[in-house]
Amino acid sequence: MHWLPALLLPLLVLAKDPQLELAELAEKGNGVIKLTPNTFELLTSSNRNWSAAIQLTALDKRRRCEPCKNFDPSWNEVAQAWHKVPKAERDNHFFATLDFDDGQATFQKLGLSSAPAVYIYSATDGPHAPASGRFGPHKYDFSSGFEAGPLAEQLSRHTPIPIPYSEPFNWGKLLTSIAGVVSFLSLLRWVGPFLQNKWVWAAGTIFTSLVMTSGYMFTQIRGVPFTGPNGSWVAAGYQNMYGQEVQVISLIYGTLALSFLMLTAVVPYQTSPGRQRVQVYLWTFVIMLVYSVLIALFKVKNRGYPFRLFL
Amino acid sequence: MATAYTLPDISPTAVKNTASLVRIVALALISGAAIASRLFAVINFESIIHEFDPWFNYRATKVLASQGFYEFWNWFDPTAWYPLGRVVGGTVYPGLMATSGVIYNVLHKLNLPVDIRNICVLLAPGFSALTAWATYMFTKEMKDASAGLLAAAFIGITPGYISRSVAGSYDNEAIAIFLLMFTFFLWIKAVKLGSALYGSLAALFYFYMVAAWGGYAFITNMIPVHALTLMLMGRYSSRLYVAYCSWYAIGTLSSMQVPFVGFQPVRTSEHMGALGVFGLLQIVAFAQLARAHMSSKQFKDLLFYSVIGIGLIGAGGFVGLTYMGWIAPWTGRFYSLWDTGYAKKYIPIIASVSEHQPTAWPSFFMDLQLLIFLFPAGVILCFRELRDEHVFVIIYALVGSYFAGVMVRLMLTLTPCVCVSAAVAFSSLLDTYLDPAKPEVPVVEETAPATASKPAATATATGTSAIDDVVNAAKKSGKRGIFDLDTRLIIVFNAFCMLSFFVLHCTWVTSNAYSSPSVVLASQNQDGSQHIIDDFREAYYWLRQNTPETSVVMSWWDYGYQIAGMADRPTLVDNNTWNNTHIATVGKAMASTEEVAYPILRKHDVEYVLVIFGGLIGYSGDDINKFLWMVRISQGVWPDEIQEPNYFTPQGEYRVDDRASATMKNSLMYKMSYYRFAELFGGSKQAMDRVRNQRLPTVSPTLDYLDEAFTSENWIVRIYQVKKEDPLGRDLKSANAFTDGKKRKRSKPVSRRRAIM
Repeated sequence: MHWLPALLLPLLVLAKDPQLELAELAEKGNGVIKLTPNTFELLTSSNRNWSAAIQLTALDKRRRCEPCKNFDPSWNEVAQAWHKVPKAERDNHFFATLDFDDGQATFQKLGLSSAPAVYIYSATDGPHAPASGRFGPHKYDFSSGFEAGPLAEQLSRHTPIPIPYSEPFNWGKLLTSIAGVVSFLSLLRWVGPFLQNKWVWAAGTIFTSLVMTSGYMFTQIRGVPFTGPNGSWVAAGYQNMYGQEVQVISLIYGTLALSFLMLTAVVPYQTSPGRQRVQVYLWTFVIMLVYSVLIALFKVKNRGYPFRLFL
Repeated sequence: MATAYTLPDISPTAVKNTASLVRIVALALISGAAIASRLFAVINFESIIHEFDPWFNYRATKVLASQGFYEFWNWFDPTAWYPLGRVVGGTVYPGLMATSGVIYNVLHKLNLPVDIRNICVLLAPGFSALTAWATYMFTKEMKDASAGLLAAAFIGITPGYISRSVAGSYDNEAIAIFLLMFTFFLWIKAVKLGSALYGSLAALFYFYMVAAWGGYAFITNMIPVHALTLMLMGRYSSRLYVAYCSWYAIGTLSSMQVPFVGFQPVRTSEHMGALGVFGLLQIVAFAQLARAHMSSKQFKDLLFYSVIGIGLIGAGGFVGLTYMGWIAPWTGRFYSLWDTGYAKKYIPIIASVSEHQPTAWPSFFMDLQLLIFLFPAGVILCFRELRDEHVFVIIYALVGSYFAGVMVRLMLTLTPCVCVSAAVAFSSLLDTYLDPAKPEVPVVEETAPATASKPAATATATGTSAIDDVVNAAKKSGKRGIFDLDTRLIIVFNAFCMLSFFVLHCTWVTSNAYSSPSVVLASQNQDGSQHIIDDFREAYYWLRQNTPETSVVMSWWDYGYQIAGMADRPTLVDNNTWNNTHIATVGKAMASTEEVAYPILRKHDVEYVLVIFGGLIGYSGDDINKFLWMVRISQGVWPDEIQEPNYFTPQGEYRVDDRASATMKNSLMYKMSYYRFAELFGGSKQAMDRVRNQRLPTVSPTLDYLDEAFTSENWIVRIYQVKKEDPLGRDLKSANAFTDGKKRKRSKPVSRRRAIM
């Protein structure tokens, strides 16, 4: 007869106070209610004395939603932080997640075409209803990124009491840095002479300045992709670039600088006139060729540029 | 010794004298070229102050020139940041204004009645000639005078520096780069000679720099890093001690005399590096001294540990003081250079400025052209010699290229270093191939291949120790030079062509990209002739001529200085973005509906609202394109009332046409920009916004609380007058509806006016 309780459960649920039921669901999901279309309706029913924050996402692999996967951990962290609040307050606000594959109809109803999104529903009744009379849904603004810190901060404006979220201490980072320092100190005997060689430092300096002057920081700060969507590696426009351009440009600059160095510092030490002449012509040719390539590339970026070399 | 070409027979003294004459002539010509290439702006347009910040500097200079230095020092400007006002004397770097003021007074003493505007316009080109000279002096310390001349020529015409110093660009950077280079030159000289005189001179120019530009923090940190690196390299010397201590002591004390800087040198983290190195130098100097007088090993051990102990206590002290709040931690603009996401999160105003964006590679190439790839070669050559001053250039190269990558405007600080380093590389090349000495062909040919084939095969792009080996091996054999004349000729010819190309490039970039005053715009007519668009001045002069002197004008902060400078009217906010809330208030008024904005406008006594609209002629720097920043900044203060997503379509697009969101369409900014815009196209479906390439709705927005007062010729500037409250006490919306003949629906009769008893 074990199917009987299962059959009775919906009846029991219907009879229950919806807030209690939601609290139970939240308890089960460790702070986050995993929504279905039905529970979504229940949670956002027009007559509610609780508030809710709902993550609308698409975590299934087939959906290929990278941002959803990036955001989900932050969401769960904040929800768990809220779960630590005393029960009296905790049940006045719920965290919930609705996956696209569980509630396509709801997504359509909300007119959502992109995920993730966070909707915040304020309470409509009871002591926590906002005085402004605007019950939502408010849409969470992702302009401050997917991190948990700003999320908790902004959601706290809608919860009865602020979410007691504090950034978890990054033990991993501390341990790695300690391990790094220790291993450096223990290897100092072998690394030391290497560090005292000025050409090691020269290599580091040149590498850094080449990469920096090729727009590496631009790609880091803007988070641009390595290549374009259709496989092109040169971004259109003067103020724009892809990750691969950094490599190409620093290689070009490096080659040109090397050619000049060769002509200045190595070729004069040739002892055979014939070989010297070959090298001079070789490096001059390299300079002309690579410089032409560079100008041609620049013309692609800046179409108004009037000059060109041999290409 | 055999020579590759015969030299004319001239006495060494004659050669020496001619060389120094040629140097002077060359420097004079370089100065001429530097000044001339910056005059494109005056020739293409006129002698006018450019852009935004220069307008404030110009206005302040006018006060200084007409009322004297003390008046300027105590100047309280009640028209800025209405109703707050601004204490100008204490919130400004006065170096620029003081410089022009001195020039103005000297010229007038000499009975040369030059207009203060022309001094301001031509200050930057004039100082660029001095920068070229300072760079010459600096590079001379690195290599020799010929490299110095090349460096001077490079910095004279490179667009990376011209971009900030064309005629009319009357900004702090105009004089700051000269001060930067000259302070560095004096510092190098002080370290080289161990001279307290040069150290004090460096401090003096450092003081001038502090008074002139907020970027002085670059010097404040570069010099200590140089000193620290020298110490870490085991190059501590009494020369370094004398140079650093004289610079730091005098420089810091004098920099604290600038009111805007005040006690920052002892209270903020940006300056703590310099103080820390100062302390470290004292410890090291003491240890050196004590060691010379001690004999036993125990004492030396004791000394060693006590020195380390003192160092640790000192470092702990810094941490403790920061923790206690005595030293301000890293914040603001400087911190955002390290933590690149910081500004966007916490100071959106800083992040919103276009010159604070990261630099893509085309900008580097545009600004520096061939210098950018000669630069690494020059750095390598610095490593080859690695004297104390070369260490400085190397650190500068490293730090400068990072900073220039993070922020477009810091390209300016990288440029001098690139010029110096590229000049060293280029002049080394020319030295090698012009040197008439011809090495002897070795008799034994067999030993050559071992060294000769090596460089091509093993030396990598970055030049590792393989180069070192080859160089050393060759040095030992003592044979160095170029054998044949044709190789010399091709290199020299190639170098000449590259330099000529550089000149062409610089001229093109300067005349096309960097010489626009942005107050006056230029476009090309069909026949290629120039058409001047002068809407800004037209509108500002309209304000000046047609409004009472006290009427407050509200606009987005970008135009605050221009309104103050050209229209001479009080403004709510301006480019000195010190009060975020006030800016957010303006942003809120622009982003809200008329009903919400009207009380804000009235509370701030705003009489005119000015918007920039480029939709008609395709001027892309207009307010609708800046609108999202207004929304973001006001959202930071009123997150409940202004929300950025509301200004997008449900699909997340930023649109102004039929599909624009309701919040967008009802915002004051949208209404003011597109008011009567469709009528201009006859009310048909033709109303086209040429910036955003979108068709506008056929019905233009209506305005109830504002009246269109003025629209400039090309509609770039639109000025609206704020209506006074309705005399009958109705709200303006229903009053307008009444005049339009629309009857208001009443649910219940309003109370009649009570009869007078």
